[in-house]
Amino acid sequence: MSTFIKDFIEKEKINRRNFLFTSACGLGGAAAMGVLGPGMARAALTDPTIAWSYRNRTNPYWNEIVSGGEAFVESLGMPKDALTHLINEGSSEKSLADVKAILAKTGGNLALAIDTNDAPNARPVVGAVAEAGAYVSTLWNKTDDLHPWDFGDNYVSHMSWSDEGPAEQTARVLLEAMGGKGGVVHLGGIASNNPAIERLNGLKNALKDYPDVELLAAEPADWDTQKANQVMSAFLTRYGDEIAGVHCANDTIAYGVLEALRAEGIEGMPIVSYDGNPQAVQLVAERKILATVFTNPHWGGGITAALAYHAAIGTFKPSEEPNEHREFYGPTIMVQPDDALEFKANYLDSVPTYDWTDFWGPSNGPIVYK
Amino acid sequence: MAKTLTADKAGTGFSIRRETLVKWAPLLVLIVLCAFFAVMEPRFLSTRNFARILIAASPALMVAIGVTFVIIMGSIDLSMEGTVSVCAVAFAFCFLWLGGTLASWAWLALPFAMLVGAVLGFVNGLIHVKLRIPSFMASLAMGFVGTGLAMVMTGGDRIRIEDALFRSLLTERILGFPLMVYVAGVFLLVAWFIQTRTTLGRNFYAVGGGEDLAIASGLNVNRVRVLGFTVAGVFFAVGALLAVGRIGIAETATGNNFMFLSITAVVVGGTALWGGVGGVWNTLVGVLIVFVIGNGMVVIGLPGYVQDGVLGILVILAVILSTDRKSISFVK
Repeated sequence: MSTFIKDFIEKEKINRRNFLFTSACGLGGAAAMGVLGPGMARAALTDPTIAWSYRNRTNPYWNEIVSGGEAFVESLGMPKDALTHLINEGSSEKSLADVKAILAKTGGNLALAIDTNDAPNARPVVGAVAEAGAYVSTLWNKTDDLHPWDFGDNYVSHMSWSDEGPAEQTARVLLEAMGGKGGVVHLGGIASNNPAIERLNGLKNALKDYPDVELLAAEPADWDTQKANQVMSAFLTRYGDEIAGVHCANDTIAYGVLEALRAEGIEGMPIVSYDGNPQAVQLVAERKILATVFTNPHWGGGITAALAYHAAIGTFKPSEEPNEHREFYGPTIMVQPDDALEFKANYLDSVPTYDWTDFWGPSNGPIVYK
Repeated sequence: MAKTLTADKAGTGFSIRRETLVKWAPLLVLIVLCAFFAVMEPRFLSTRNFARILIAASPALMVAIGVTFVIIMGSIDLSMEGTVSVCAVAFAFCFLWLGGTLASWAWLALPFAMLVGAVLGFVNGLIHVKLRIPSFMASLAMGFVGTGLAMVMTGGDRIRIEDALFRSLLTERILGFPLMVYVAGVFLLVAWFIQTRTTLGRNFYAVGGGEDLAIASGLNVNRVRVLGFTVAGVFFAVGALLAVGRIGIAETATGNNFMFLSITAVVVGGTALWGGVGGVWNTLVGVLIVFVIGNGMVVIGLPGYVQDGVLGILVILAVILSTDRKSISFVK
């Protein structure tokens, strides 16, 4: 894998270099100066390098995020290769080292979108970017005490998702479909993952209003279809007919659950899931899943890059924006059978063309700390 | 400890008993486990639950049998995750391209997937033998190549196989067990045939038991090794087909977890990692132990994270029980 990834990064670097050469030829000295000149202590940058730092592309979710970043770059009239990919492979150390390397290479003329891999890594990354006079927007990971407004303009924004509310909504759909009584089982993500914890909490919150429904069991299925399949089979042995509904932490788990039920010839069991993958949406349309939640990773990836870029070139001044424009939740859309096909046509079959300067329109309010 | 004491007293009588113990220990563990789970939750013993365990175990059994041959040779094959993914995806593409139902020429996708597995295993073996790279490294690297290849082929998408005829592997039952369990059973017999009734099978043991001796006897060890990896690749492919049959989805993640599952199962079953000892029946018992634990833990309501811990402890116990460590001059 490592050589594969290394080759990939190398290729991306070369593409980036080719782009620099072309832009230097095409746009002349101005562009070349912007890229090569010292980028320190400027109010706004000209033609900054746009980079996305993330885990890797083999994960469908991150693939969507980065495709959003590429769509944004293309909207600026550049080829999508113009987006520099910094791939951390799940290593915070590599994530930070990559950022420092690209800051040195660009002399701080950089608009960076990043998921820092874990929360503690956000501070050194943001610190390094601010010191170099570059601009950064973060996604998902940061500690609660780290805020964009403590870094002037250079830490542009942070976007995250809270899954508790939406998971509670899908749970209510499920519990209604069960007629408000019977047993429910939950198949969760990797036990220590924050979204896994929040999605189970969502179910628990909804259960408070349904005293006749019993949470029979909640087991981690590690976001994995085959694991979910086995766990669901074992649930069927333990609880049999007591199970009247299944709450899945994401779509890939739901696929495994559906197949475990199919093996037993059980049809029409109420199931809800999360993530809004295309196949899950199709299954919602067929009423095999009753609800899923779409978090629009494409938009999230694009707008994070757009925020960093437009702050960098001076389209808006982050420090003049209210706090809810600098720390906010990403969009969530609940998909149910009646609107599934329409949703699929609008969001999945054809990716909508977003206005990448509408920074906060689809977002979901300021981040609340508990 | 008790065994050592008996050994001192019983002298030579113990060596036979120890061998018997080593031979039957994994099966004993399996029976004890089943009894334990049955006492904790009587529903564990139902036919339907055994069917569920066997459904889950069938793909892993095929993969574990494949790697058993390689381990008997004293090598190791860690390419299963990549190979399974590539075979699953190759099968799905070929199957859909040829018509998408077993009632058409699309059945050719089945042998095609096995061919893909054989080729991957063959290349794996060649890299190990010709480039003289330890099998551990060569196969691990090939596994990563496979995962990457599957990723490139699918672009990260899942491919659904909805053909009712193919899915009858899961949905059609004979005597309460789905067809895929019988398919796995047939391939288990094939593996047993290869192991006991073919020259190749005996040569695996010759290479694993003492490579120097095998070379001195004029055996083309390199050829045996490459063939061993090729056979393993075919069994990985069968595992991939059953995995797709089980959940109806072919994707890069189809191969996930097979490495841990199959190596654990082989070792727990009593096949020694240094080669020459064990066989497909050991692997069957090992796979069943792993999946009985996975199923039983949930059935009696123990949290999932305990499962991995229990499996880890079992691996150590299995090695302690099933191998005569005094006969090993050094541990590497």
